[in-house]
Amino acid sequence: QGATVAFGGIKSDTSQPVEVTADQLAVNQTDGTATFTGNVVVIQGDLRLGATTVRVEYAKDDRTKVERIVASGGVTLASAAEAAEAKDAVYTVANGQVVMTGDVLLTQNGGTIAGQKLSVDLKTGTGQMDGRVRTVISPKGSQ
Amino acid sequence: MAIPDNLHSRVVFWLKILLPILALAILSTLFLFSRRIDTEGALPYSEVDVTELARDQRLTDPQYSTVTDDGSALSVAAAVARPGTGDADGGAADDLVMRYDTQDGLRIDLEATSGQIDQTGGQAILRDGVTITTSTGYKLTTSGLDAALDRTKVVSDGAVTATGPLGRIDAGRMELRHGDAGIDGYVLIFNDGVKLVYQPVK
Repeated sequence: QGATVAFGGIKSDTSQPVEVTADQLAVNQTDGTATFTGNVVVIQGDLRLGATTVRVEYAKDDRTKVERIVASGGVTLASAAEAAEAKDAVYTVANGQVVMTGDVLLTQNGGTIAGQKLSVDLKTGTGQMDGRVRTVISPKGSQ
Repeated sequence: MAIPDNLHSRVVFWLKILLPILALAILSTLFLFSRRIDTEGALPYSEVDVTELARDQRLTDPQYSTVTDDGSALSVAAAVARPGTGDADGGAADDLVMRYDTQDGLRIDLEATSGQIDQTGGQAILRDGVTITTSTGYKLTTSGLDAALDRTKVVSDGAVTATGPLGRIDAGRMELRHGDAGIDGYVLIFNDGVKLVYQPVK
């Protein structure tokens, strides 16, 4: 079963500059993919993504357009209001979709939702959680 | 011989006198009034200080090209090169330009103000500000780097700033070499802390 989630906080402005810090970066000169390894932090506006490895894949035709960002090895995606944790995450830039898989834990102003797969649409700010969804709402209601 | 009476003979008579005098005059201008030739300016002397040239052996505009183990053509050129003293010191060069042309079409251009060729170590040590440009659109600047002569491998020894399709990158060190097993083609690796700023094109 799934639960739709309002994801107001993680609506990010995808035109803002992206800043990535990591221990190491390897850029494959043939197909242009860039692999950041070692506590990688990606910051865009107030959206912040932390992971151990982040691979940035570029569009085949235009080397400057980022096509997909694949983060793995324990990912935390946080924004002003919400934070989500999972094993892996894939962010497709074109349609602004973030799909997090593997023990996803989403904390939202007081409530937490756990599940196996969370897909978030950054443009509209809505999310869909699937697989063994468990919700914990703190008795005092949403502060 | 008296002056003849008819016109024709009189004219011929005067011509016989005037024409030789005229010839004499023309001949004399050829030798007496000739232009002064300044022998000083004629020979172009080169300004290079001969003693300095003789003092140290040097090669001007040396070129060195080879094919590396991984099959890329490497060419090294410099403005001036001075041979080294011992076998370890392979000689120093100024305004060094190196170029790798790999088999899969990647071209790497290195430029440095000064460098040393370490023949035994099989590498060129570039110093005093090196710029690296790759055909994949990366432009990197660093203080110094070691470029291998026997294979396509470039390792910077200091901090690097780079601009390219990825955006602007600052890193502690940089290495450009053939990918490890499994990765075909060449890999540009930044380590010792990387910071990248990418401006999404709108």
